[in-house]
Amino acid sequence: MSLCPDLPRPGFSFDNCKRNAALESRGYKSKGFVKTGTTIVGVCYKDGVVLGADSRATGGNIVADKFCDKLHKMSNKIFCAGAGTASDCDKVTEMIRGQIALLELNSGRDVRVASVVRIIKQYLYRYQGHIGCALIIGGYDATGCHLHSIAPHGSSMELPYLTMGSGSLAATAVLESRWKPDLDLEATKKLVRDATAAGILNDLGSGSSVNMVVLTKKGNETFYPYDIVCAKGVRSGLYDFPSGTTKVLRTKVIPYEIEKVEVRGASEEDEPMDI
Amino acid sequence: MGSERYSFSLTTFSPTGKLVQIEYALSAVTAGAASVGIKATNGVVLATEKKQKSILNDEHSTFKVEPITQHIGMVYSGLGPDYRLLVKRARKIAQKYEVRYGEPIPTTQLVQKVAYIMQEYTQSGGVRPFGVSLLICGWDNDRGYLFQSDPSGAYYAWKATAMGKNSVNGKTFLEKKYSETVELEDAVHTAILTLKEGFEGQMTQDNIEIGICDAKGFRRLTPGQVNDYLANIS
Amino acid sequence: MSILAYNGGIVIAMKGDGCVAIATDRRLGVEGRTVSIDFERVFEMGPRLFVGLPGLATDTITVSQKLRFDMNLYELQENRQMTPKTFATLLSGTLYEKRFGPYFIEPVVAGMDPKTNEPYVACMDLIGSTTETVDFVVSGTAEEEAYGMCETLWRPGMKPDELFECISQCVLNAMDRDAISGWGVKVHVMEKDKVTTRYLKTRMD
Repeated sequence: MSLCPDLPRPGFSFDNCKRNAALESRGYKSKGFVKTGTTIVGVCYKDGVVLGADSRATGGNIVADKFCDKLHKMSNKIFCAGAGTASDCDKVTEMIRGQIALLELNSGRDVRVASVVRIIKQYLYRYQGHIGCALIIGGYDATGCHLHSIAPHGSSMELPYLTMGSGSLAATAVLESRWKPDLDLEATKKLVRDATAAGILNDLGSGSSVNMVVLTKKGNETFYPYDIVCAKGVRSGLYDFPSGTTKVLRTKVIPYEIEKVEVRGASEEDEPMDI
Repeated sequence: MGSERYSFSLTTFSPTGKLVQIEYALSAVTAGAASVGIKATNGVVLATEKKQKSILNDEHSTFKVEPITQHIGMVYSGLGPDYRLLVKRARKIAQKYEVRYGEPIPTTQLVQKVAYIMQEYTQSGGVRPFGVSLLICGWDNDRGYLFQSDPSGAYYAWKATAMGKNSVNGKTFLEKKYSETVELEDAVHTAILTLKEGFEGQMTQDNIEIGICDAKGFRRLTPGQVNDYLANIS
Repeated sequence: MSILAYNGGIVIAMKGDGCVAIATDRRLGVEGRTVSIDFERVFEMGPRLFVGLPGLATDTITVSQKLRFDMNLYELQENRQMTPKTFATLLSGTLYEKRFGPYFIEPVVAGMDPKTNEPYVACMDLIGSTTETVDFVVSGTAEEEAYGMCETLWRPGMKPDELFECISQCVLNAMDRDAISGWGVKVHVMEKDKVTTRYLKTRMD
């Protein structure tokens, strides 16, 4: 079984560490990872929580992704916005989502925000900040609506409004000046949009558009995007090359036969079962 | 009794090539509560008998029909505790698959992997085979699936089948009643009628459990919904 | 110097209308020294599924073999073709497993869904942060140059021939300003019923 595993062993592999350290000692450095840069915002209002995020991912000074999704679904009524190393945010939320699905199936009830926060912070604490993701977790559960933030080292806090990431300074200014307890939904969406837009416009690590999710006792409502803050201009010229511009040395064509188009109903009892 | 001589160790071959422990495990299944599965054109139904030993039992706090993922469900005949372990393992298998490949596990894959675990328990030291047969239903690829997995690790694909007590009668009944073009609603009725074949006493919303699976996913019917189906039949 | 620029190399993938293309240079260098001009850094993983693994050549080869292994296992086990999206998820997982000692490659995935024929392109950083786009992805030492070319030349709705000209000009002109990629270009254009592979005439210096 171990000779040819179906699924690899869980956990990290440190096989390359020695080699990479040796390369580094010879002056060959690794490259930085893609960061989300990011402005993420969360605001509680009277019926639930609204989370917002920009949609830029950066690798160094390059915009690696103009429309990346930083809002991760954890369960039907709990979402998580991630800032920091893009891969860490993606993979941690993906893994925890799996654990939460199991928890929900095995307990037969909806998971609580506090449980999600606890699972994530315990995981992050184990890695002592080496897994670089800062998260805002918001959602609605049996005990009402909650908004937490978790730092990469595993510390967390619960607040009525929160922002994280490199654009958080700009976003905080908006939130501090305009947040009030028990806002209504439209005012909250506007506030989250403006706070995120402040990050998009004033922080170069954040950009493009505002994505948003509203979490209430009814479930989740997503807006991808809620607003495109900075749209790309329309290109005025057409830079097409006529066919044959590029000099080709050799061409090889691999034709594929088009698979037969079959139309069938849901029942296919006349065919042998495929197992 | 010749076979008893070869029961000293768990799952040892008898000279005739039988693994009597597995046969005993199957006996535990046949003695267990009846369960039925039927594949319809637009969904799959699982149904099972859930007789309580005492009127003091609280019927709706434990379940026999269990969801494994959003689109796969399971039921059993045989030993309840063994079943719960398999449910837990199946759920974990499904989640692991989803994390690795980013897509829900196909029903066929889940069945193979669960059957693999059941086979492992016929060949490992210090364990006994599972005393359950599973009925696993799922919906993917725009079609329904219905599988049975036995203590030996063998698995079968069915259009309709019955397991547990009175399974022979149940299967005969299904052979007569089953049609390729049956729709989910009718399949639920047929499933209830099949259970009724060997049912002792009055069938109520409290002593049967039903799960259905279609394009929308798998769900267990509430006692109220079961009651509606029962009312339609009588 | 970054270890990802030790061997040099560039891969671009682009979406068109019912087609998708992936282009790569063919040089293998040891820093400034050219060692080979028919190095494969784009691999055909299935019918209409290609992966480009620019970066440190040793990892290009290791990861391509690892992927081949995992993919064969999947396809035998499940008796079906892997979709490009599933493939990208698998690759991303493989890279993230080595989060604290990564492979020095930044992969590009290009393909078409075996059932729906939907074009798919994605790129990743060296620990598997996946970027799926609707237009193009680039990766390798001429990345910055190629981003500029693609942003200018790419437009929606290109037919296979137009897509070929577009991606070829992008890769040729990006390479012109990168000293450590070049020496021949290979372009694969995938369509519903065929894959066309073309070898381009380039500067050899």
